[in-house]
Amino acid sequence: MDELTTLQLTKFVTFKSGNETYGIKIDYVNEIIAYQEITEVPECEDYMKGLINLRGKIVPVIDVRIRFKQEPVPYTDRTCIIVIQYKQNTVGLIVEKIAEVVELAEENIIPSPSIGKADHAQNKYVYAIGKMGNEVKLLLDPDRLLNDDDFIGIEQEALEPAEVEKEA
Amino acid sequence: MAEEFNTGDMLDVYLYENTQLLEKLQDTVLDQKDADEFDEDSINEIFRAMHTIKGSSGVMMFDDITTVAHRLEDVFFFIRESHPRNVPHMELVELVLDVADFISGEMDKLSDGDQPDGDSTELVKTIEAFLEKIKGESAVKKATPEKKDEAPRNFYIAPVSSGGDNYFKIYLTYNPEVGLANIHAYKLVFALKEKAEDIMYAPDDILTNEQSADEILKNGFQILLKTKQTKEDLERIIQPGYDVQKADIYPCSEHDYQLGFDSGNDTIIEKPSIAPGDFVIADSRTPSSPKKLVKDKPKKTEKTQFISVDVSKMDQLMDLIGELVISESVVLQNPDLRVPGLVLDNFNKAAGQMTKISTDLQNVIMSMRMVPLTATFQKMNRIVFDSSRKLGKEIEFEMVGDSTEVDKNIIEHISDPLMHLVRNSVDHGIESKEERIAAGKKEKGKITLSAKNESGKVWISVTDNGGGLNRQKILAKARKNGLIEAGKPDTAFTDKEVYQFITLPGFSTNEQVTELSGRGVGMDVVVSNLQKVGGALEIDSVPGEGSTMTLKIPLTLAIIDGIVMEVANSSFVIETGSVKEFVSVTEDMMIYEPDGGESVMIRGNVFPVLRVGKWYHLKDYAERVEDGMMVIVEVDNQNFCLFVDRLVGKQEIVVKPIPDYVRKVKGLTGCTQLGDGSIALILDAANLIE
Repeated sequence: MDELTTLQLTKFVTFKSGNETYGIKIDYVNEIIAYQEITEVPECEDYMKGLINLRGKIVPVIDVRIRFKQEPVPYTDRTCIIVIQYKQNTVGLIVEKIAEVVELAEENIIPSPSIGKADHAQNKYVYAIGKMGNEVKLLLDPDRLLNDDDFIGIEQEALEPAEVEKEA
Repeated sequence: MAEEFNTGDMLDVYLYENTQLLEKLQDTVLDQKDADEFDEDSINEIFRAMHTIKGSSGVMMFDDITTVAHRLEDVFFFIRESHPRNVPHMELVELVLDVADFISGEMDKLSDGDQPDGDSTELVKTIEAFLEKIKGESAVKKATPEKKDEAPRNFYIAPVSSGGDNYFKIYLTYNPEVGLANIHAYKLVFALKEKAEDIMYAPDDILTNEQSADEILKNGFQILLKTKQTKEDLERIIQPGYDVQKADIYPCSEHDYQLGFDSGNDTIIEKPSIAPGDFVIADSRTPSSPKKLVKDKPKKTEKTQFISVDVSKMDQLMDLIGELVISESVVLQNPDLRVPGLVLDNFNKAAGQMTKISTDLQNVIMSMRMVPLTATFQKMNRIVFDSSRKLGKEIEFEMVGDSTEVDKNIIEHISDPLMHLVRNSVDHGIESKEERIAAGKKEKGKITLSAKNESGKVWISVTDNGGGLNRQKILAKARKNGLIEAGKPDTAFTDKEVYQFITLPGFSTNEQVTELSGRGVGMDVVVSNLQKVGGALEIDSVPGEGSTMTLKIPLTLAIIDGIVMEVANSSFVIETGSVKEFVSVTEDMMIYEPDGGESVMIRGNVFPVLRVGKWYHLKDYAERVEDGMMVIVEVDNQNFCLFVDRLVGKQEIVVKPIPDYVRKVKGLTGCTQLGDGSIALILDAANLIE
């Protein structure tokens, strides 16, 4: 690819969770590893699954489905851990299945629409929507994904699964 | 022109050396503060230190430092030469410390990348006034000056008549431990230049060629000098010390001088090339030398070579070794090896050898991180001195066990708390002179700083023989500040509990806020700093006799000896030091209290029981006491039982912090990898029972 296009394209690692495809900027992604044994840490939030030993480094892992208030699914051999680095935190994200790495042009990244209440469950983590032909990728904001400051206030309403339509 | 060479390297060497000199200087001074006067060795040492600082600061063009050091050098030169009586010792001590402070202040600025812009005028005036004073006072004594040091000074070469030019050949051997010998050499050339009519030196590319440092170390450094100075004058400039190991100054003829360094027919010493060994011979030819005053050989031999290493690299090495140990056990316990009938004799032999090496490796890296507390303690010495002078108290300071070694990371964390405790002792602990006399005590207070190893921890105590803590006052204050629940009577608290109140935020019994302490922001900070490294503060006090503050800190944060145990699917580790014993108990030993609490009776003693599985809401942990194991744990003289499912074994574990991202869980202080690569959580017993 020539220089001109790289300037406009942003790469995202996408993964499937439920029916949706989510994307996370590749800059944040350290690596993707297969699911491995997790050591539970007691008394933590439910989405905090515990710690893994990543070549000597202790990395906390969270389950993205539970984080999104979706029903947890059993882990399979497709289950992966995306290790992301955000600020000082290295965190593993357990995802059902890695999709692919996509490149999105600037004009195809649109701020996530909000209907009425801005703090809708989905929008809490999704900062923008990426369009790719007929598909939609929900682009995640790692800050909001990892940090729990605004946890209180959304409480119950977030129980429904994703509602964003699969249309461009 | 020196400015051009004012590079980082040079500055680093300058800062490093002078910081060490100053530290040593302070030690020496404080060591002798209670004497009537400095002994000869210390005078020489201070003189030398100032001389070196003056020289190097001169090269670096730090004029204020140079001036101050120069003035103090003058003072000590005078003391050394004239032995004046009636030197006000305390004043001198303070003077030296002031100078040391000034210079270290300037050097701090330098190391922060600032310019040394401190104004030395005031200090110089003070020093000059002091010098005048002792000169004046000693004028009477001058009639019978002690000449014993001067006798050997003019001995082995008749000074060439002054007025004409003298020619000298100077051979210098540098201490091989010295870094950047070329810069040291340049320092000297720089100092000689002022006095010289002409000067030549070899190697002559000392500033531009870094290799020259090695050359100097190997072959020595030669200077040819044409000067009006006498040999004695030169000897004063060129003194063996930290950098120069040996200096030989030979007068030579003008002819030799013009021949330069290649003169084969040297009239004084017949050697065209100079090797260190030759100097020994040369030295034996001149049995007594005028350098008696500056020889400091015995101390030299104690000196070990140091290299400063980036701590992050050490941490990295530590991590790698930790991983190595783990992968080693992954290999050695590999399930692939468990083939029936497989003969592993050779394998086991090799494996044993490897285990030995990796254990050694671990020990070495651990010992690399251990540093003695000496430097930290010395700092306290200074604090006691300063603050006691400020408060007008006389205090004796004693250090015990300062060679106790502690992990470097921990030392960094305890320095501030310790400083605070020591200040507190000086300020609040030791009473005023009048009070002490009234109480029938010795006028002079005493503070003891001691360190010892006990049960896997380092105990550092600050003991004073002051008035002790006042229970009533503390309780009253605690009530006033609402730290005690209203209905609770005073008698409900033990002395220790009462003393612990002073560690709560916003507590200060001293009515008056002094310059040193008393704003009540101290003790809680001390405690929280200690907790960060897994330490604790214990306060003990006897009214009228003094108090003892004991810091109990772990020896190291990095590797601990732990007992690995399992509860449900999780592994936990507890520090071996806190475990007393393991007991298998039966149901009939259990005592259930109506409020849900449990205890167990073991050999007539009742221990409260904490079920780890229940505590952490784990799934599928052993319910029946027969299925599990009781671990009797002792913390702060309290015993209790942890109930776990299984014991796995004892293991050296590499402590890793739980990532910040994970919420803090009570009782868990870290995590570690086990032999199979899985992660275990480290239980902190003290934290559990809080």
